[in-house]
Amino acid sequence: MSDTAEARADSTPLIAEEVLDFQQNMTRRGIIFSFTGYISEGILKALGDALRQKIRLESTDTKTVNRVFSVFVEQVQNIIRYSAERIEHDAEPPIELSSGMITVGSDQGRFFVICGNVIGRKDADTLAVRLRELAGMDSAELRRFYKEKLREPPDEGSKGGSIGLIEIARRASEPIQFDFQHISDAQSYFVLKAYI
Amino acid sequence: MAVVESIEHEATDRTPAVQFDFGAGTYRLSGESYPEDAANFYGPLTQGLRQAIEDRVSDEVEFTVEMIYFNSSTAKALMNMFQILEDAAQSGVQVRINWCYHEDDETMEEFGEDFSEDFEHADYRMCPSS
Repeated sequence: MSDTAEARADSTPLIAEEVLDFQQNMTRRGIIFSFTGYISEGILKALGDALRQKIRLESTDTKTVNRVFSVFVEQVQNIIRYSAERIEHDAEPPIELSSGMITVGSDQGRFFVICGNVIGRKDADTLAVRLRELAGMDSAELRRFYKEKLREPPDEGSKGGSIGLIEIARRASEPIQFDFQHISDAQSYFVLKAYI
Repeated sequence: MAVVESIEHEATDRTPAVQFDFGAGTYRLSGESYPEDAANFYGPLTQGLRQAIEDRVSDEVEFTVEMIYFNSSTAKALMNMFQILEDAAQSGVQVRINWCYHEDDETMEEFGEDFSEDFEHADYRMCPSS
């Protein structure tokens, strides 16, 4: 009995060390919060509220708070709509969960929002073309392009994602960064990082 | 088909307050908008507006937007409603759009200017407030 008690007493600080190290590592990278796993609209709402409160407390000006929030919403909604790792269930209300990662942080006084999720290889090709196109546009061009996309009739299956990407590019203070990692013949891991 | 007189919703954390009075021809959206499902939220509003215009329920329409934040799916929904309104104005309905925003809010000001470009026949007004 005393052996077991001792083992328990020993193992607890190790967990703390490991978790603290993990947290400090995140903090060193400027991360305000990071969420990995299945994301729902409810989680978007809760994280979005926490994000607004946190950056408002840092006496960030309203314009920046709104920009960061907008980029965050579009990125999370992209994960929810386009992640290839998803669970759908016809319960009442229906269950819809999409897997991915969303991270918000600050780096030398600027905020950044990163999202990562698995997508189909074919979608990755289309997405890369769109993102390259956006990366080459200045703010006036992005503004015009957003407007042009709004006028277009809804594109079947797009669920409005292309406008979401333009919104992210418009609110970002520099061209958005993106990358793809080959996972399998069918899938790629997609990462998008926007500085605000 | 039953005639819908009006649609009213209180604002929630992520959807705007809605006051659509089809009979009077007055419409108002105010607050924040990033609904879980924009098509589901704006679909009935757009349909109601389209129906009221088709039925010529009123000869005058006043549509007021007073948003502080909306996501890209909402922008698409607003665009759809604005197209209905401009078409109505073109066919002789007196349409007035009020785009209300805080004078310091450049994002909402820009959106207001961009939407205004599509109106030729409707009376579109930018309404900054302090």
